[in-house]
Amino acid sequence: MIGEFEYLILSSATRLGVDAYGASIRSEIEKATGRKCSIGALYTTLDRLEVKGFVTTWMGEPTRERGGRSKRLVQVTATGVKEASDFFRAISRISKGASWTTNRTTR
Amino acid sequence: MISPKSWAVALWLSRSLCQADREPVLGDLTESGESGGGAIADILGLVVRRWTTGLFDMRVWFAVGSLILPISYLLSAIAQNTAGIGAVYSWMYLNNWDWALTRNPGFWHVLRETAIYYGIACLVLACWSWSGGFLIGRLPNATLRASRIAFIVLLAASFLVDVRGRLIQFWTSSHGVPLGPALPDVHAPITANVFYHLFFPWIVLAMLVILPGFSGIWHGNRSLVLERKIRVVLATAATISVLILLIHVPGVELLFGAAVREWLWRNRSAMQVLHYCPVGRCSMWLRMASGVIGGVTLLWCNKRGDRKGDRQCVKR
Repeated sequence: MIGEFEYLILSSATRLGVDAYGASIRSEIEKATGRKCSIGALYTTLDRLEVKGFVTTWMGEPTRERGGRSKRLVQVTATGVKEASDFFRAISRISKGASWTTNRTTR
Repeated sequence: MISPKSWAVALWLSRSLCQADREPVLGDLTESGESGGGAIADILGLVVRRWTTGLFDMRVWFAVGSLILPISYLLSAIAQNTAGIGAVYSWMYLNNWDWALTRNPGFWHVLRETAIYYGIACLVLACWSWSGGFLIGRLPNATLRASRIAFIVLLAASFLVDVRGRLIQFWTSSHGVPLGPALPDVHAPITANVFYHLFFPWIVLAMLVILPGFSGIWHGNRSLVLERKIRVVLATAATISVLILLIHVPGVELLFGAAVREWLWRNRSAMQVLHYCPVGRCSMWLRMASGVIGGVTLLWCNKRGDRKGDRQCVKR
């Protein structure tokens, strides 16, 4: 089972498609969670996901807006998609009946 | 927007990252227009994470326990010994120099012998350090950075803590060997000198262990590009050379049985030739370099000769 942060990366990389790379994934995560995402956490988690075979990464072409530096492009593999959907299903199942999903408050 | 000063700090910090990390990270920071402090914190965070990831790699701990720790200990023990001998001779000759001695032929004879003896001791230590470094350099690339740091930290720690002395103490107390009366320090005038007591041992460690050791690591890491035969010969020679270190470190031989000690001691001269395998390797490079220089010189001379010959023909 993947972790919460791994799920965030897999989801944002899948949403971004061909535009998935370090800065864009980071920006997506920050927008979705409202919290700052550190580059250290992002890149070490990307490495872990790559070792597990959930993503593949490669270096793109250098661009001017990046000061002539390359992007580390990310693509989610079929195994990665399966892991992310398993995580989502588990979260949906466990959240059923919880106060925040039914708009009830608990004491 | 990152100020030039912060960017310079960020660039400097990013140098400790590998190329595959540095390039996209700096690009991401430029693209997102991160503030100076934010960029520095981000890079520092990644550097720290990379280092700590290395600590959790079991291969690193295995390499430290099985290879780096024993090699560092052995080398630091020999370096301490070599530094001690060097300090005594330096003090004898430099701090007690008397011009009247230079008129004595016996003085020059002893000085020559001492220089040869100490020179060989230094060369052997440098060769052992190279061999030890070569074996460390053969470790997987993923563990190499942590291994390098562990090598230097353990060398310094063994030097500072005097592990050799503690090991002998432990062995004698665990085997119930009674401690003799404390002997007077015959080297008291030398140890009283701050330079010989504090700085000289560290200079020996840096020059004869750390520098050749890191050169060995570099060569060991790049040995994969060599022919398989040369690789096997170098690795075998380095392994045997490091094993021979064991009988040269006072205290370590106590860990073996009497029969093994005797066998090692009897065969030490036969194995001694392997100490110099790094010299052989360097001479291989020197031969190659001299071959290339010789070839180029020969070509140049031939060309000159041809031109001279042409000119002479034209003159005729």
